[in-house]
Amino acid sequence: MKSNSLGEFEELVLLMVAALHDEAYGVAILQNLEEKVGKKVNISAIHVALKRLETKSFVKSRYGGITTSRGGRRKKFYVITATGKAALDAQYSLRTSIYQQIPNISFGR
Amino acid sequence: MSKQPPKLALSFLRWFCKPEFLEEIEGNLTELYEIQHRRSPWKANLRFGWNVLKTLRPELTRSLFPKYPINPITMFRHNFVITVRNFRRHKSSFFINLIGLSTGLASALLIYLWVNDELQMDKFHANDSRIYRLLEHVDEATGMKTGTHSSGSMAQALEEEMPEVEFAAAVLGPYDGITLSTGEKNVKSNGRIVNNDFFKMFSYSLIEGTVDNIWAEKNSIVISEALAQNIFGTSIDVLGRTLKLQHNEEYTISGIFENTPSNSSEQFSFAIAFEEFATQEGREHLLSWGSTPATIYVMLRDGVKVEDFNVKISDFVQIKREKEVRFRTPFLVSYSDYYLFGNYENGKQAGGRIEYVRLFSIIAIFIVIIACINFMNISTAKASRRQKEVGIKKATGASRFSLVFQYLGESTLITAIALVIAVGLVWTLLPQFNIITGKELNLNLQSVEILTMAALVLVTGFVSGSYPALYLSGFKPAAVLKGKVSSAGGETWIRKGLVILQFTISVVLIVSVLVVYKQIEYTQTKSLGFNREHVMLVERERPDNDMEHLDAYIEELKAIPGVINASTTGHNLSGGVWGVYGFEWEGKDPNDNTHFEHMAVYYEVLEIFEMDLVAGRTYSQEFSNEQDKAIFNEAAIAHMGLENPVGTTIKFWGREKEIIGVVKDFHFESLHNEVRPMLISLRPGNTEQWIIKVKPGMERDVIAGLEDFQQKNNPGFALVYSFLDEEYQKQYVAEQRVSVLSRYFATLAILISCLGLFGLAAFNVELRTKEVGIRKILGSSNMAILRLLSADLTKLVLVAIIIALPISYYLSSNWLTRFAFAIELEWWLFAGSGLVAMLIAFITVSMQTIKAAGANPVESLKEE
Repeated sequence: MKSNSLGEFEELVLLMVAALHDEAYGVAILQNLEEKVGKKVNISAIHVALKRLETKSFVKSRYGGITTSRGGRRKKFYVITATGKAALDAQYSLRTSIYQQIPNISFGR
Repeated sequence: MSKQPPKLALSFLRWFCKPEFLEEIEGNLTELYEIQHRRSPWKANLRFGWNVLKTLRPELTRSLFPKYPINPITMFRHNFVITVRNFRRHKSSFFINLIGLSTGLASALLIYLWVNDELQMDKFHANDSRIYRLLEHVDEATGMKTGTHSSGSMAQALEEEMPEVEFAAAVLGPYDGITLSTGEKNVKSNGRIVNNDFFKMFSYSLIEGTVDNIWAEKNSIVISEALAQNIFGTSIDVLGRTLKLQHNEEYTISGIFENTPSNSSEQFSFAIAFEEFATQEGREHLLSWGSTPATIYVMLRDGVKVEDFNVKISDFVQIKREKEVRFRTPFLVSYSDYYLFGNYENGKQAGGRIEYVRLFSIIAIFIVIIACINFMNISTAKASRRQKEVGIKKATGASRFSLVFQYLGESTLITAIALVIAVGLVWTLLPQFNIITGKELNLNLQSVEILTMAALVLVTGFVSGSYPALYLSGFKPAAVLKGKVSSAGGETWIRKGLVILQFTISVVLIVSVLVVYKQIEYTQTKSLGFNREHVMLVERERPDNDMEHLDAYIEELKAIPGVINASTTGHNLSGGVWGVYGFEWEGKDPNDNTHFEHMAVYYEVLEIFEMDLVAGRTYSQEFSNEQDKAIFNEAAIAHMGLENPVGTTIKFWGREKEIIGVVKDFHFESLHNEVRPMLISLRPGNTEQWIIKVKPGMERDVIAGLEDFQQKNNPGFALVYSFLDEEYQKQYVAEQRVSVLSRYFATLAILISCLGLFGLAAFNVELRTKEVGIRKILGSSNMAILRLLSADLTKLVLVAIIIALPISYYLSSNWLTRFAFAIELEWWLFAGSGLVAMLIAFITVSMQTIKAAGANPVESLKEE
């Protein structure tokens, strides 16, 4: 298995997939991310991130039913896997453990 | 549903995106588009395009090559094996193609070498782009002539007065047959008289001596390496040695230059200084602005536009001659272009050798096309044999592209084999070709040549393979494997068209060959107005103005056994030599500056040439003051408009001259030109050659006698002689070459065409064996079957002839316009050519059909 580290943007996408649970597909992820982060994100960045997450088996995907919008194309929904959840947990606990080591610094406003 | 996203971007996305991602990505992009479209359709379009572009990422685009490629080497080997097997199985068509393509390529290569050499002519000078030749438009009031020569002072004047000029060279010559001697050794050589700038301007590199000081000493001579070898046996340490010119003046060698390269139009072995030569006594005319003895070359400075410069010098002669001469307009043309574009008509550039370059390039292309057509026709005609192969390949998943590739590979392979043979052919034929073209061509396989040949193979392979490849790969596998022989109407139509094209080209070539041949024959047999048979011309070596001397020499010549008559002349009637103007007669248009050809003669020259007098008499020793008399040709009399010429007095260069005779027009130039006005005057001082009428069959005795004569009177000079009819031939060298070459190439073209026709006929007969058998059983005669089988193909040739005749009529009448005296294009020339083509085609076809018609029907019908 290749390096299973998570890039910053990948982590955001993976979090969003987990958060949207079962309703996560390209455009939904995009809209929610833009809303949360507060800046424009290009759809192709999300596509690439999803492909990478999938090859690292952090997410799995399935096609939705045929719709009349979207030019007749099906949606592809993503769900976080156990490995994906574990990776998020590991990242999260790593961060919190380091964060807790920070002494109580005062920046004295 | 609202509007569709932009089509172009969408199809681009579909093209590059990995297929397994396309569903998702296209869906997402479309959804975004739809959302945005509600707000602003215009922005949505832009956004969509932008998103498509952003999707161009390595992870999302598909590979240019299939993920599981067919191993190209295996495939290549497979194709190769199939090709070789196919060649072996169909040996006859393989050899027909091979012979056609290799001879076609060989002639294309030969022509390429020749054309390339012509195009490279004179281009080797380092400053080629800035070197120009000076020509002069001369307005003769009756028409514009373009003179190649100018005044000797022109070079110096231009260099001094025009800041744009870097160098200007004046050149006199060529002087052929000049005797150089040292001690007992005499060598005939040819040289130029050149000014100081000549070696600075042109890239004739000096091996010994430097450009700046070769002319430092008086009486210096610069010789070529080969001449040094010839005279001294070495080219080392010859500087400072002396040579005698014409056993007269002594010159010191001040430099040695590399032999003039074969791609130089100027070929010379020595040079002496113009400045020194022209300033000697009695040579004032060389520097006078009134005469035009010198060739002038000019090298402009960097960045000077020749068009501007030409405007500036257009009145240069006028100013020099104080407005006295208005009709000479000098102008510059590129020196190296002049070789190919050397003809001027009425002041306009009118082709030159470039026409032959174009002509032969076209012929080369045509011959290769004919060979390609053979390949196309035979491969498509035999397509039925390969239908199964195509069907199976397609059924097992071969794409059309890979089939096209296979067949193109096949044609390229056969072309490559043909090229190897062609190179061998060129190798063996080149010496012969060099003799015909008068060139020194080599087939040196350098990178440029190899690239050219590779390109030739690829292009030829592609052209000949393209149609068969598309045709063969287009079969429907299901139909083919079921056994349906697909034979679309279009396919035979194209094949017929190609045969017609082949024979059209062939017939045009046959007619052209006939026309050229007839015209050459015409120049040989046309009565020229004088007798050129059994007339010898001998170089006299020195001018001699002493009439008593001349008479004594002539008596001596006449005493040689075999000599009927002898005299001396300044004109050998094989091309124009000396144009003069400045005649005055009653009623002359003051602007008329027509040049009259000037023929300087001695007594009895007109009798030796057997010219006819229209009126009056010739020069005779019985009369006195003959030098003040004049004889004109009819053209001159007509030009001056004199009613009763004999006895009339005209003025020439200020002296009165009485006309004593008029000669019938004769052709003193090639038949390209009309007969121009000519003055024949008795000027022994301007005569140059002995002219001797010889008894037929006594030539050897006369030459022996002349050797003795030369030994006695001109010791140290080798005897140089020629026959007048040979000199006459030299005027048609270009036409002779074209005649010989076009004959070869036309023969080749028709041979290759017939080869193809032969292949087609063989195939047709094979296809119809059963039909012929059944017809015979039902009582058809051999003749009827012969007619049936031959009709198809011969009909095509007939159509080709009908198309070809008008084209060839147009082309040949066009070619004949360059002769002032040309043959009539008679109907039988065309009918004959058509008949010949028809006959050849018929014989080719019937070689196959007779065999088929005579075959026993049992043989063809017993099986199946």
